[in-house]
Formats: sequence, structure tokens, C-alpha cells
Amino acid sequence: MRMLPVLFRLAWRYLWRNHRRTLIMVGAITVGAWAMIFMTSLTRGMVDQMVRDGISVLPGHVQVHNPAYLDDPSIANRLPYTDAELRQMFTDDEFRAWASRVRVPAVVSSERESRGVTLLGIDPEPERGFSFVDYDAVEGRFLDGPDDSGIVIGKELADTLETGVGKRIVLMSQDPDNEIADRGFRIVGLFTANMPNFEKSYVFIGKHTAQKMLRMGDTTTEAVFLGDDYRNVEPTWERVSAAVDGGVVVSRWYEIDTYLGAMLKVMDGFVLVWVVVIFLALSFGLVNTLVMAVFERIREIGLMLALGMKPSSILGQIVIESMLLLLVGLTIGNLLAWATVVPLEGGIDISVVAKGMEMFGAGSVLYPKLYLGDVILADVVVLILGFLASLSPAWRASRYEPVEAITKVE
Amino acid sequence: MAAVRCVDLCKTYRQGDQDIKALDHVSIEIESGGFVCLSAPSGGGKTTLLNAIGGLDIPDSGEVWVAGQRIDQMSKGQLADLRLANIGFVFQAYNLIPVLTARENVEFVMQVQGVPAAERRGKAVAILDEVGLRGLEDRRPAEMSGGQQQRVAVARAIVSKPALVLADEPTANLDSKTSDGLMELFTELNEHHNTTFVIATHDQRVMAFARRVVHMLDGRIVDDVEQNAA
Amino acid sequence: MNIIFRLAWRNIWRHPRRTWLTAGAMVFSNVLLVFMISLQVGMYGMMIDNTLQVLSGHMQVQAPGYNDEQKMRQIVPDVVPLADKLRRELQISTVAARAWAFGLVSSEERTYGVGVFGVEPDFEPEVSTIPGLVKSGRYLSDSGASEVVLGAVLARNLRVEVGDELTLLGSGRDGSFAAAVLTVVGIFESGITDIDRNFAEIPLAFFQDTFYMDGAGHQIVVNGASLDDAKLLEPRVEALLPADEDLVILDWDALQPGLKQMIQADMSSAFFMYFILVILVAFSVLNTQLMSVLERTHEFGVVLALGLRASRLGRLVLLETTMMGLLGLVLGVLFGALVTYWVSINGFAYPGMAEMSAMFNLPSRMYPRVTLLSLSLGPSVVFLFTLFAAVYPAIRLRRLHPVEAMRAN
Repeated sequence: MRMLPVLFRLAWRYLWRNHRRTLIMVGAITVGAWAMIFMTSLTRGMVDQMVRDGISVLPGHVQVHNPAYLDDPSIANRLPYTDAELRQMFTDDEFRAWASRVRVPAVVSSERESRGVTLLGIDPEPERGFSFVDYDAVEGRFLDGPDDSGIVIGKELADTLETGVGKRIVLMSQDPDNEIADRGFRIVGLFTANMPNFEKSYVFIGKHTAQKMLRMGDTTTEAVFLGDDYRNVEPTWERVSAAVDGGVVVSRWYEIDTYLGAMLKVMDGFVLVWVVVIFLALSFGLVNTLVMAVFERIREIGLMLALGMKPSSILGQIVIESMLLLLVGLTIGNLLAWATVVPLEGGIDISVVAKGMEMFGAGSVLYPKLYLGDVILADVVVLILGFLASLSPAWRASRYEPVEAITKVE
Repeated sequence: MAAVRCVDLCKTYRQGDQDIKALDHVSIEIESGGFVCLSAPSGGGKTTLLNAIGGLDIPDSGEVWVAGQRIDQMSKGQLADLRLANIGFVFQAYNLIPVLTARENVEFVMQVQGVPAAERRGKAVAILDEVGLRGLEDRRPAEMSGGQQQRVAVARAIVSKPALVLADEPTANLDSKTSDGLMELFTELNEHHNTTFVIATHDQRVMAFARRVVHMLDGRIVDDVEQNAA
Repeated sequence: MNIIFRLAWRNIWRHPRRTWLTAGAMVFSNVLLVFMISLQVGMYGMMIDNTLQVLSGHMQVQAPGYNDEQKMRQIVPDVVPLADKLRRELQISTVAARAWAFGLVSSEERTYGVGVFGVEPDFEPEVSTIPGLVKSGRYLSDSGASEVVLGAVLARNLRVEVGDELTLLGSGRDGSFAAAVLTVVGIFESGITDIDRNFAEIPLAFFQDTFYMDGAGHQIVVNGASLDDAKLLEPRVEALLPADEDLVILDWDALQPGLKQMIQADMSSAFFMYFILVILVAFSVLNTQLMSVLERTHEFGVVLALGLRASRLGRLVLLETTMMGLLGLVLGVLFGALVTYWVSINGFAYPGMAEMSAMFNLPSRMYPRVTLLSLSLGPSVVFLFTLFAAVYPAIRLRRLHPVEAMRAN
């Protein structure tokens, strides 16, 4: 152990004795490290965005529904609670945000065209935390409260219906008795969304307006809750479950959107696989470098052994050399990655494949995100694997007999 | 015509913070078919002179003529061609390509010269026989003794009948008996083929074989002795 | 035999472990590349085929602007005779005419707004997989009958089964009120929610009656034997269209713009990763060859002294690198082919794949196919970069001076 400082010094100097080789290896490790982190940031950013987009389309982190609603999302399967009861069960400061809403299928008609849509009767204020709509970016204005008598639809839908702000459209759906419930609305705002699909499928009206139109009293069809971390919704789920009784089902977001849930898992796995693959590609060069370095020094190793150095010290020296090499490369690679990702965090415009990204469920702007956890993971994996890879050449180096090593020629 | 003619050669090296005069106004003429030793203590300038004659190292000033051509102003490519065609080298050690057999080492040079394959093989075997290595053609350098390795180097040096063979301390790593054997070989070849031999050495035994010994000290020729007149 | 070749080969094997490690890097990359590219090519092909086979087909004849706006009045006139003509002249049966409208479909208990397709029952199965996905009941049979098939999720939402009745309400081509009563004869299930929830199919003639189409429709789907075949069909279809009508042909890229782009996006990210792999292999080779050159400095000095030109030495190094590269190439392709072949029999899946695949019309287990492209693309690029990597060490040789070189080591 007291040999350590000496070994470190030896290892460091030997590294730089053949500076060309060391530099090339460092270069390779840097490229590998950069690629690991860069790719991971891109993927993370994309998935983050997708999940946020996905979750902000209403599911929130945790949802409460009538058990039959998930299969048949119609008004017959609304929540067995009134809004007043919900406000008793949940207070605002328990969650980052929560809201109850009316969500049913409906048909919207203009003078020219009709389309099937999903009607959302909401209270705009609490819904800010959930919405995929930027209230301030709405052409016209968004709803100003749950009693607003206007309707806000997507820009794409307005184009299809050949209508616009200020015009009237008719909304038609069913009430709990299967009677047609319809009403005329004036369009007060047009919204745009990351996913053009949303613009075509969702329309917003005030919650109370919806409840009146659909003759459903003070009830709604779902309650949604937002916690702090979409990766860990257990605390939120438990709080919600504790407050409700058996007449409803409490779902976590990934239980409903299995695609996104799976995507998240897959991406996590993907990151790890990518890191290992890169490392394996590097490992050939790393082992080679160490083997060559040892070979060149056989005589000196023999000398050291003859002078009384323990074989374990030789082993230690080689391993330390390998670790130093990796550390230098990783450091530069990390810095480089940080320097390239941060400027791009403002967004990379990939609208040229926008429609394709839409099929994935992602937007047309990519926001890479550098997560410390990912960086640490990549570095640790590389160091551990590097340590393991260096053991073989280091072991062989320590096994030399002094005399044999000193006299070893070509 | 003289095989080699050097006129007023000068060459200075920098070592650390000192200037070393390796060649200090050296002039020498070596006639065709000669068997000359350049003798000096280590670092006396003999290797530098040898390198200058062989077109390996250009002197700072002066003229070098080999086989009637002025070589001190030739380009690298021309010098390479010159060496390939006209000069054979035997160094102190590490003369051979370790991964080629004896025969292949000899053939290597011929291939570079463009000699067709069939002819190459025949010549290589013949020359190896001449230097006393019959039967060892397919051995690699690592499988041969020091003396045998040097003989292969000699074979390679003379296979294309160069005008001049330059040897730099060829016996330095050999024992006395092997050393004598090598020098006898040189003598034989010199007489048989009339090849000019210039050998740099500080070994008395080697000098005894030469017909002319040029003594150098600190980059200057201090003595030029004829001996062993045939 | 050529000494130079023998020399190059033996030089590589002076340090067998070093050569094997370098070749190992190449083989590793090549195996990965062959496998991944085989997987991708197969996957993309399937994605395209599967997606197109559901509804869009390889190409469609439509009125200009219909693809974006889908207005009732953007029609293909006399759509059935035109479809017949195409079938006759092109001598294929994979042509089907359709019409589409938005309507309200009501069962006893529920009403939903959905898209309604009018299709030719005899020909729709040739261009779409939907008829084959009917799980209960049967597909449509008679073009004039008041039948309907719908998706399983829609049926469940409407609470109907085979034999139940549905009312259809909508707007006809001229804007007038359109209504019909339909009997559910079949329910299809594709497993993809979007498909099973959003539309229903009724016979075309019945559609044309109900919506006052006056013999018109909105699309004619034309499929070739394969995607490439369809490309060849396109100009022939174009030639058969009536000259006095303003009709356009849309190929699959226009019909499913996201598909091509998604593949492009996926390919780009994949290629970025492959490129990194190639670079890392090149570094490995650079390192090895540089070391190999440097440790032979003395020997090279001797050879230069003998009269060899420095450029020749450079070529020797390039030759050595080429041999090593070929070793990595051949072994890599071999192992890559073996691995891919094994997986092509046993299939390939990873956790989470099933859910994701459903999104893209892919099966939950993939079977890569070994093709010439997948075998050659990756390894060739690796080989190329291997050669590049040798350039620097080869160049260094030009500066080698015999005398200095022999002082080395």
C-alpha cells in the first residue's frame, strides 16, 4: 500500500513515455466517451419529451376512473363522485397539480364538415399543470373559467372544418340516458400542439358548461393527479388510493399508455447496451495497448523484480496505468460531451422528419438532456470494465521470472 | 579509375551542448579492387566516413565520388538507386529481416532490383553456398549463430555483384574464430570478384587481413599504411 | 512467389496476440454491424409492408387535394368502371375502389362519430388486410346490401355484436341528409386500437346510394406484387386515367408521409452509432500499425540502406494493413452471417419490444434476414477506414533516414 504513490508515478511516466500510443488511445476513449454521453443525452431528451407530451395529454401521473370507463370511455361510466366530494378528498397542496374533468367522445360540426373528436370539459386553472396547450400561445384566447361558454379547438381541426375564431360550431354527444345532447358554441380560440394529432382530436369547453350540456350534474368522468417525478409515481398513487373507496380504479400512467411505459424501459436498457458495446469496441485497443506496453518493458520489469519489487506491485502498476489512461480519456470525453450537448439543449430542429417523429410519438424538435446519472453510469461502467480488461496483461506481467525477463530478446 | 574518391569532407554533429567534428577535412582515394580498413577508436569518424561513401549520410562540405559518379549532391531517390545497384552493406548487427529465411533475405534485395523469380532463387542458393551456408537456406536468423547471420548478410551484400562493399564493425559481436572465418571470406571474395572492400573497425585482428589501413583520430586521417602486398 | 507478400503476411504475425486483438475489434464490429443492419432492413421492410397493407396500399388514385382535405366533393368520378378498367388493362386483381365519409353511427345505447368506408367486397380483400382480420361473423359480400363490418373496439364501445343493427347518419355529396340502417355482419380485430376504433366498412354500391355519390368515389387503391413492382406500375396507371379528369396518383410516401421519415430518423441515429464503432476500430488499427512501424525502425533503416525506397516501405505497411483488414473482414462477415442466420431461425426480442412493435405494425418477435447488403455494407466501411488508419504510419515512413533509423532501438 505504501507503494501506491510510487506506482502511480511510475504508471503515469510510463504512459507518457510512448506519447503517440497513449495519445491515440486517449483519443479513442475520448471519442467513445463522447459518443456514449451524447447519444444518451439525445435519447433521454427525446424520451423525456415524449413522456411529457404523452403524460400531458391528460393522463397525468395517476388517474382515477370508473372501472368500466377505460374500456368504454363514455358518459355512462362517469365517476361515482361529485366534484364537491372530490374536493373533500383531495386538497391542492398534496399534489403538484390535480383536476377533475369531463372527457367523452363527441362530434363537432361546422357548416361544411363534421368530425369525431374527444370533448374535454375542464377548469382551466388547475389544468395548466397538465395541458399540452400553451394557454398564452392560443390564437384568440383560451377558456377563462369553467363556466366559459366558448369552445377552443385545434388549428388543424379548424382547417378541416373550414372555420375559425368567432365562428359557430355545433358539438354533439350523449347524455347519461342515451339521449343526444347538443349545443352551439362560438370558437374563442385556436390552439397548436406539438402533436398535430392532438390538434385534430381534442376540443375544450368549460367544465360546468359541459356538465350542463350533458346533463350530468356535478359529476365528471375522470380525476387526474400530477406528482413530482414521472419515473416514480408510487407516492402519488398511494395518496390517491388511500383517499378513495372501492368504487373506482386508480391507475398509474404507464398502465394506461403501455407504449410509453415500454419505451421508457427500452430506452433505459438501450443506454446500458450502447455503453457496453462502445466499451467492448474500445477494449480490444486497450488490452492491446497494455500488452504492448508490457512487452516493451520486459527487461525493466525483470530488473524491478530482481531488485526486490513484489509481483503484486507490478500488477498494480499496470492496472493503475490502465485506469489512468481511461480517466484521462473519460474526462476529456465528458467535457467534450458537456460542451456539445449544453448548447444544443435549446433544441435541435428535426422538422425535416417531423411526420416520422410523430409516428414515434415525438415532436419535431429534439431537446438533448444531460443527466448526471447517465454520465456517472457511463463512466463507472467503463472504469469497471477497463479494470477487468487490464487484469490479464497485468497478471502476465507480474508472472515474469526476473532472469528470464532481463535476458529476453526479440 | 578509383572506386571511391573523397575530397575535403567535413561533417559536424551536435551532441548535447557540444560540437563534435566527425570529419575534419578528410580526403581519400580507394582504387578498384582494394581491401581497405578504416581504423579508429570508437567515435573516431570511421563510421561517418563509411556512411558518406555509402551515400547514407551527406557531409556538410566536400565531394564524394563513387564509381565515377558524384554522389554528395544526389537526391534521396538517386542515392537509394545507387545503393541498390552498386553498394553492398554489412553492419555490426541486426542486418537481416527476422521473419525471412536466409534465402529469402538474399532474394529480397533481388526482388527489389527487379530480378525475375526463377533467376533469383538460383542466384540466392548459389551465393549462400559460396559463403559456406549450404543447407541453411531455409533457416530464420533466430535459428542461426551470430557468425552464420553475418555470412547471410555478406551473401546479400554481394549477390548482385556490387562495385563496393562497406562493412561497419562486422565482427564486433563474434568470437575470434568466427571473426577470422568471416575475414577470410571477405578476402576470398575480394580476390575472386575483384570487389572493393572498405571495412570500418578498431579490431586489430581484422586489420591484419587488410592490404591498406587508414588510421583516423578525431575526424582526421593520421596515417595511411600499405601492408600485406599480394 | 512474391517475397513482399510473404514478408507482409509474416510481419503481421510477429506479434500474434496483437494482430488477433486488432482483428478481434474488426470482427466484433462487423458481427454487430451485419446483425444490426440485417435486423433493420428486415424491420423497415416489414414496417412499410404491414402499414401499407392495412389500408393505404402502394398507391392510390384520387382527386387533387383529397389526401389533405378529405372533402366529400373531391371525387373520383365513375370510380367502379375506372377500377374495372385498371384491372383489365393491367391484368391484376389488386385494384379496389373506395369512398369515404364521416358519419354518426348509433346503436341502441351509444352513438359515435366515425369514418365510414364504402368498399368493393370482391376486391377489397386483395388490397387490405382488414377483411382477413374479421374475427366474428363474416366480411361484406354483396355490394348493394345494407351490411357493415366494424372494429372490435368500436363494436365494444357501441355495445353491438354480429346481427345487431346500427343507424348511420351523415351528409351526402351534395350536402343533403344521408341516413341508412345497417346490419352488423362481421367484427374485425387487428390488435391496433386506432384501427379497431375509428372506422367501419360498408359495401360501395350501398354507400353510393346512401350518400348520393352518383357513381363517384374517393379513392382507387392499386397494389403491385411488391413495392418495387408498384413503382413500375405507376406510369402505366397514369396512362390509363381519363385525360379529361383531373386525377392524381399518390405513392405510398405521400399516403403515409410519416413512415418514410420515421425510417429515415431511425436510420440516421443508427448510422451515427455505427459510424462511431467504425471510428473506434480505425483507432485500434492506427495504434497497432503505428507501433508495428516504430518497433521496426532499426530494421527499416537497414532495408533503406540496402537501397529500398521509403515509398516502398510505405506500401509494405499498407499491404500489411490490408491483409489484417481482410482477415477482420472475412471472419467478421462469416461470424456475422452465422449469428444472423441463427437469430433468423430463432427470432429476436427484448423486453418492452412487444408493446412498441404493436405501434408500428410489427410482430413482437423479429427475424432478421441475411442479405447481400447487410453482409457487405458494414464490413466494407470498416475495411475502408482500416486502410485510412494505415495512412499515417505509412506516411511517417517517408521521413525515415537510414542512419538515424539504425541508431534507434
